[in-house]
Amino acid sequence: MKLRKVLALTLALSMTFSLAACGGSDEGAAEAPAADAGETAAPADEAEAPAADAGEEAPAAAASDLTYASIKLGEDYKDLTTTIKFIHHKTDREEDGTMADLIAKFNEVYPNITVETEGVTDYQEDSLLRLSSGDWGDIMFIPAVDAADLPTYFLPYGTVDEMSEYVNFADQWKDAAGNCYGIGYMGNAQGILYNKKVFADAGVTELPKTPDEFIAALQAIKDNTDAIPLYTNYAAGWTMGGQWDAYLGAITTGDETWLNQKFVHTAEPFKDNGDGTGAYALYKILYDAVEKGLIEEDYTTTDWEGCKPMINNGEIGTMVLGSWAIAQMKAAGDHPDDIGYMPFPITVNGQQYATAGPDYCYGINVNASDDNKAAAMVFVKWMVEESGWCDLEGGYPISKTAPTSFVFDGVTVVNNLTSLPGEEDLMNEMNAESELSFNAGGDAKIQAIVEAAFTGTQTYDEIMADWTTAWNAAQDSLGIEVKY
Amino acid sequence: MAAQANTVENKKGFLQWARSRKGQQVIIIVAFMIIPLALLFTFTYLPFGEMVGYSFYKMKYVGKRTFVGWKNYASVFSRKDCFGALKLSLYYMGGSIVQLALALYLATILSFKVKGGNIFKGFMFFPYLINGIAIGFIFKFFYTRGFVFDTVLQWCGFQLDNLPYWLRDQRINNISLVGTSVWRYFGQNMVLFIGAIMSVDSELYEAAMLDGANRFAQFRYIILPSIKTIVTLNVILSITGSLSAFEPPYVITSGANGTGTYFVVMNEIAHTQQKVGLASAMAVVLLLIIFAATILQKLFFKYVFRNAEDEDFGASARREKKLARYAARKAGR
Repeated sequence: MKLRKVLALTLALSMTFSLAACGGSDEGAAEAPAADAGETAAPADEAEAPAADAGEEAPAAAASDLTYASIKLGEDYKDLTTTIKFIHHKTDREEDGTMADLIAKFNEVYPNITVETEGVTDYQEDSLLRLSSGDWGDIMFIPAVDAADLPTYFLPYGTVDEMSEYVNFADQWKDAAGNCYGIGYMGNAQGILYNKKVFADAGVTELPKTPDEFIAALQAIKDNTDAIPLYTNYAAGWTMGGQWDAYLGAITTGDETWLNQKFVHTAEPFKDNGDGTGAYALYKILYDAVEKGLIEEDYTTTDWEGCKPMINNGEIGTMVLGSWAIAQMKAAGDHPDDIGYMPFPITVNGQQYATAGPDYCYGINVNASDDNKAAAMVFVKWMVEESGWCDLEGGYPISKTAPTSFVFDGVTVVNNLTSLPGEEDLMNEMNAESELSFNAGGDAKIQAIVEAAFTGTQTYDEIMADWTTAWNAAQDSLGIEVKY
Repeated sequence: MAAQANTVENKKGFLQWARSRKGQQVIIIVAFMIIPLALLFTFTYLPFGEMVGYSFYKMKYVGKRTFVGWKNYASVFSRKDCFGALKLSLYYMGGSIVQLALALYLATILSFKVKGGNIFKGFMFFPYLINGIAIGFIFKFFYTRGFVFDTVLQWCGFQLDNLPYWLRDQRINNISLVGTSVWRYFGQNMVLFIGAIMSVDSELYEAAMLDGANRFAQFRYIILPSIKTIVTLNVILSITGSLSAFEPPYVITSGANGTGTYFVVMNEIAHTQQKVGLASAMAVVLLLIIFAATILQKLFFKYVFRNAEDEDFGASARREKKLARYAARKAGR
């Protein structure tokens, strides 16, 4: 009897305790988010307050004469002592110590400016969150914000006209008043990736400038070396449409308005110009290379990760990829110096063209203290002009004065102009209607070129005729006027 | 006044009914059913109805839509990449027959006493547990020139030069892909078959053995008739599965090089080309085809297993004779 009572009591007690425990943990759980909310709410408030101030402060900052142009590196602000924070997306560079090396070099010149860096994974999303929270540091790579919001968040470097003397692509982030808010850390250009040693071994001394010369170079690689002349990366898919379509427009026609303004209104965009230019010549390079056996043996099992060491070690001659790929190919093996980049082998009226644009751009926090603004401006200018980071990444040069190994001899760098007002959606609609999807995931059509060239089921002219038919049918069904 | 009295009476009547045994039954049934039915409706039938609606429009995911009537259905049948893609399903159907035969054979063997039977079962079931995407990547390398498959074949004395390119050659690449799906699913079919075979009364085997029946006769007259339900189910699942084959071609070849099955084409049309109306029409057409295929199979199995449990030996003998005659006719032709 007694035992039973004791048992009952223990049970009751243990239950009470467990209940209490539950209650306790509940409370804890309830408290934690509340605390979080409080913490996050506070910076949000702070963010709003300075943001409101910003409008008034911005002209003041401009008045204080802190501009990119006015800073003399190594002379100005030598006695400035402060700590600035730089957030960026290059987590790989943070981990391999490149960022620390760059900052050590910076501190040789400016020992009193301490730079803290943070590599952010998932930068696209996180950077926007941090930007809206306001408490992010002094320098960041500008995420996708509207041009109208730039003055709220970032400090102008100067006017675009002024900045254009120092850097390329100064108009990437500009407001209505023509101020420049962002400077790229590196640029990306469209050309062809190749292995210099393979070209030398094959006896190709002059870089090919026309489709015919390019095919001849590939043939020479096949005849004289063991390397794969052109690695298609067929199986990955995005390396087909995503890459080949990128050369449409100014590169193949020399006309900056072609891609976004004329293409949808063109009756026969894929007709043979007869002089190795235009969309016809672009895709014909691929068809001819496949037909002549100048690609890998089995295109259906190509491997994107595997191709990097292969081109690095000289097992691949060329790959059709944007310049962003250079750094990856260089890092993939022991022969980074063999990786070269050449303009796309199409010459329009004796001139080769390339399109280029900036990668992420440095932006300076407009709400930072004056000392930090100055330090940040100094740091950005040093990074752009002295650090050599852009070149290290194999990027298209940003600074107009810094030495670069990116050689694009005799090439005119152009940009495809944006669509005419009111016609912004036409390209998308044409892409969907014709099912060709240029620059919009249309990988299947490029893969089909490879298949047709290999199996001989369709000639190149037949493919182009099919495309033209689809294009014209789409123009008809969407009621788009044919002008060219 | 009278009306009021009437409603009061009605109320009373309802309460009374609700308290009655029958009322309780109905209330409980409704209460239990309403949640699953609501979920089923919201997440299956409602979206499906919407999709059927979409199939009559020319539309993208965003933006305006225009009513086009049966035009999308017409293009499903007229475009050679849509309806033509169903031809590839024949490869997968062929594969599923191989798969079921293999599964049935192994299940029968493993359901008798075999040394290490459980280990074999485990090994053969294992592929089913791997994620389909992972299997895709495994087989991409498996079929790469000079990699796993070619190496193994070379050990068996084949010359690399005589071997085909498993994924490049359009004559065999679909067979290669079907191979991966057979590898993945036969283990699962086998386990289902073993489960069904287990339920067969073992005394039947003893009796059959006393009557002098060998293993094959046991399979034929005891096992097969006893597991006909599960065989039917597996066949129906495999055939509908092969009509909607997606993962192997999508992951291994991304539907390129003549391996784009109906589903892959549908995915491309819906997501890359953003022709949502056409893709919806394709989905509806596929559903109708699957209905038709299922009904035909039901009828077929009704015919095949018609006499399965018939004790009348005369009938089965007659059927044998009929089949023999049919076979003879076929051979003679």
